Amino acid sequence: MAPLEPWEKVLVDAGKFLPTDHGQIACMECHGGVQASEKEAAHVGLIVSPSSEPEKYCGGECHSEQVATYPFALHSTQQGYWTALEARGGSHPALNEMFGNHCATCHTTCGECHVSQPKNVGGGLFTGHVFETTPPMTRSCTACHGSRVGNEFLGKNEGIPGDVHFREARMNCVKCHEGEDMHGTATDAMTAEVNRFAGTESPKCVDCHEEAAPNGDDNPMHQVHGDTLSCQVCHSVTYTSCDGCHVAVSETSGNPFFETDATYQTFLIGRNPIQSEERPYAFVPVRHTPVTTDAYEYYGENLLPNFNAVPTWVYSTPHNIQKNTAQNISCETCHNGDASIFLTADKVKPEEMEANLSVIVESLPPMLTLEQTLNAPGTPASHLEHISNSCTACHTEGIRNAPISPEDHMAYKDRNCSGCHKLQK
Amino acid sequence: MKLKPIGLLIAGACLIAACATIKVESSTGTEQPLATEAVLASTPEADKCLACHTDKQRLIDTAKPVEIAEAESKGIG
Repeated sequence: MAPLEPWEKVLVDAGKFLPTDHGQIACMECHGGVQASEKEAAHVGLIVSPSSEPEKYCGGECHSEQVATYPFALHSTQQGYWTALEARGGSHPALNEMFGNHCATCHTTCGECHVSQPKNVGGGLFTGHVFETTPPMTRSCTACHGSRVGNEFLGKNEGIPGDVHFREARMNCVKCHEGEDMHGTATDAMTAEVNRFAGTESPKCVDCHEEAAPNGDDNPMHQVHGDTLSCQVCHSVTYTSCDGCHVAVSETSGNPFFETDATYQTFLIGRNPIQSEERPYAFVPVRHTPVTTDAYEYYGENLLPNFNAVPTWVYSTPHNIQKNTAQNISCETCHNGDASIFLTADKVKPEEMEANLSVIVESLPPMLTLEQTLNAPGTPASHLEHISNSCTACHTEGIRNAPISPEDHMAYKDRNCSGCHKLQK
Repeated sequence: MKLKPIGLLIAGACLIAACATIKVESSTGTEQPLATEAVLASTPEADKCLACHTDKQRLIDTAKPVEIAEAESKGIG
C-alpha cells in the first residue's frame, strides 16, 4: 500500500463528509483544538484520535452497544499476543517494555477501521473523513493483516491462487467477519476472549456451506472426514510460515525494529493442538510462528523460560481456500504412506521438538487396500471390475476433473461423480 | 354562500397568525438564528478547522516535511 502524502492524510472532503451524520458535528466537539487561523495556534489541545477514548467520543446515544464491548475485544486488548507471551514468559517487566515497543502499535481504535488507515501503516483519512460502516479491505483489514492473510486471500504469493471467495465472488473480509467478531461480545475482562481461536468458531465455513457439514451431502470426503479434519485441511493451499523473529531498538535512530530469519511457503497438516467441542478436528493445517527462545534477548536473558508451553507450529486457518486442491484430488494423496504434507518430527527443529509434541503427526493415515477402495462410499458401482486401488491410475487429473467423463456429461456442473452415480452399498 | 363572510374571517385570522410567526424576537430583542444559519456555521468559510482542512494547497504549504526514515526491520512482520 503506497503511503499517503502528509496533506492527503488530513484533507477533508466537505462535499462528501458534511452531509453525513458525523459531518453535522462541529470539528472541535471531537478533536478539541482552538478556532484560529494559524496552524500552531489552532492545534493547541488537539485530539488527533478521539476514538482512543471510545466511551467519551463514540458511545452515548449513538454507538453504545459497540463501545460496551470493544474495550474487551481482541483488536483493542491484543490479548492474543499476551496469552502466548505469558504462557511462554510469565510476567516480566522487560516483556512489558518489549510489548510497548513492538506489539502495541497493532492496537486499533474505532477510527482506525472506520475513518482512517491504521497508524501502524502511516494513517491518513480514507475518504475525506467520511465514516465508513464497512472498513475498506486493503486500506484497513489487510493493511495490518497483509503479510500472511492478506497476501493469501488476494493471491499475492507468486504461483498460488487467491482465495476462491475473493477470486470468484469478490467477497471482502466483512462478508465473513461480521461486526460482532470485530467489536467483541464480552463486556468485562473476565469473559473476554484469550485469542482468536477461543470460544465459538466464528466465522464457520458451514454457516454458509451447510451441505458440507458432516452428513450434509453425498461427498464421500465430507462424510468420512467432516468431523475429523478442519475444512482447510482439504481446501487450503500453500501458505506462509516464518522463522526466527528478533526484536530490538536501533542504536542509530532509536526506533524499534524486528528481523526475521526466514519466510517460506508451507502446507503441513498437524494434529490439532487446541481440540475442543467447538473445534473438534483431529487434524488442521499448521503454520510456523517466528518465535524463538531468544526472540526478546535484547530486553533481557531467558525471558521465555516456558518456551515449550506453546507449540511453534500453530493451528491455522489459511485464507486461500480452493474447491479443488492437490490433497483433495483423491483418497490416496493422504492414504499413500507419503509424509510430505504432514508435520512429522523430521520437519521440526530439534530445539522446538518438545514445544510441538501436541502437534506432530506420529503415524500417517493408513494405506488403502483394494477392497477398501472399491467399497469406499464414493466408488461408483460400475467400477467394481477395476483392479487398481488408485483412482488416479485412470483419472490422471483427479476424480474431480475426470478425463474419461463421457462427452454427454459436459454440461454437468457438479464434477463430483457420486453426486449422480449413487453410492455402492 | 351564506358562509362566505365567516370563511373570510377565518382566512383573515389565519393570515394574521401566520405573519406573527415569521419574526420571533428574543427577550433581548435580537433575532434568533434560523436553522439554515446553523448549518452555514459549519461550512468551510465559517469554520477555521474546515477552512484549512478542505484547502489542499494550504495543507501542502503548512505540512511538516516528511522525514523518510531508513527501514531497519527486515523480513515480514
